[in-house]
Amino acid sequence: MAPTDIELVERARNGEPEAFRDLVVRHQRRVYAVALGIVKDRDLAWDVAQEVFVRVHQHLSECRDGAAFMTWLRRITARVAIDVLRKERPSRRNDVADVPEAVLREAAPGVLATALGTDPQETVLRRELSGRLTEALGQLPETHRAILVLREMDGLSYEELAERLSIPKGTVMSRLFHARKKMQVLLAGYAGIDAPGGGAP
Amino acid sequence: MRCAGAAPLLGSLPGELDPTEEALLRAHLSTCPSCQARQADLQALSGLLQEGLLVEAARRDLSGLADGVMARIPASAWRGAPAGPLGRLLSFLRRHRILAAASALAPALAALALYLYIGRTAGPGPAGLAVEVTSEDLAAIVLETSDGPVILVGESSEGT
Repeated sequence: MAPTDIELVERARNGEPEAFRDLVVRHQRRVYAVALGIVKDRDLAWDVAQEVFVRVHQHLSECRDGAAFMTWLRRITARVAIDVLRKERPSRRNDVADVPEAVLREAAPGVLATALGTDPQETVLRRELSGRLTEALGQLPETHRAILVLREMDGLSYEELAERLSIPKGTVMSRLFHARKKMQVLLAGYAGIDAPGGGAP
Repeated sequence: MRCAGAAPLLGSLPGELDPTEEALLRAHLSTCPSCQARQADLQALSGLLQEGLLVEAARRDLSGLADGVMARIPASAWRGAPAGPLGRLLSFLRRHRILAAASALAPALAALALYLYIGRTAGPGPAGLAVEVTSEDLAAIVLETSDGPVILVGESSEGT
C-alpha cells in the first residue's frame, strides 16, 4: 500500500530524501496545473512549482497531520504563484488587461448548458472546450485568472478567497462573477455559439 | 432582488451565503428564467477548468521537476544520510527501526548460542574460561565460573 502524505512527510523530516521526492512526484501535477492557471506561462509555472516544494521542505516540521498537508500545500502554491505574478507584472506588457469590449457581451444565458447537454461529462464539445481552457484562461486579466483558479481547483470559499487575495468578500463575489462571465463568453465563442448582447438587467 | 444582484450569488457553495441572501436568491430564481439559465451554464461548466488545467499539466513532461527541487535543497538537510550505499543502508535502518534494535542484541544472542554449543559438545570447560563476542560498541562475555555460566553484556572496551 502506498504511504500516506503524512508518512512521507515524517520520513522526509527524518532525513529521507527519497520520501520527499515521492511527495513531490505525487503532487507536482496538481501544483503545476494551479500555477499554470494563475501565471499562465508554462516556464514560470514550472519555476513556481519548484519554489512551492522547496518552501514545503523548509517548513516540513510545521506539518503534523495529513489533512492539513493538502490545505497547506494549496496555500503555499497560491501564495507563491500570486507573488510571482506581482513581481512579473511590470515586465509582462503583453498580458491582456481585459477581454475586448466586443467579447464582453454576455453569451445568451443557458446556451452553454444547452450545447453541453444534460450529461456534460460525455460530450465531444466538453472535451474540445477543456482542451482550449488554458487559451481562454490566458485571455482573462490576472486578477480574474487567480480567483477563478483558486475557486475551481482548490474549492476555496468566499471567505478564504478574501483572505488569500486580501480583498473584501463582496469584491470576491463580484470578481468571480465577472471572471466566470468572461470565461463563458470566450468558451461560447470557441464553441461557435451565437452570443447575442444582453446581460443582467 | 433583481438579476444584477442575484447573478453574483449564483455559483456559491452550499452554506456559503447568509440565510437572507439565500432566501432572496431562491425567491428570485423561482421567477427568473434568465438566472435559471445562468445557473444551468455554471453547472454545465462545473469542473471544466480543473479538467482543462490538469490535461494541460499532463501534456508537459514533469519528470525533471523533482530533480530540480532536490537539487535546490542543501545536502545537509538530509540528516546523517551520506550518498551512496551507506546512505541507502542508513535510510533502510531508519525505516526498519525494530530490525535495527534487534541487531543491537545480536552479540548477546551469539554469545548465548556459542555457550550452548560449547556446553553441549565439549563438556564442562575450565573454570574462568571467557569467550567474548563484540559488535560495534556492544560486547557480550560468557564467563564459565565454578558457580555456572555468567553472561556479561556491556560496552566494548576496544579503542578505549
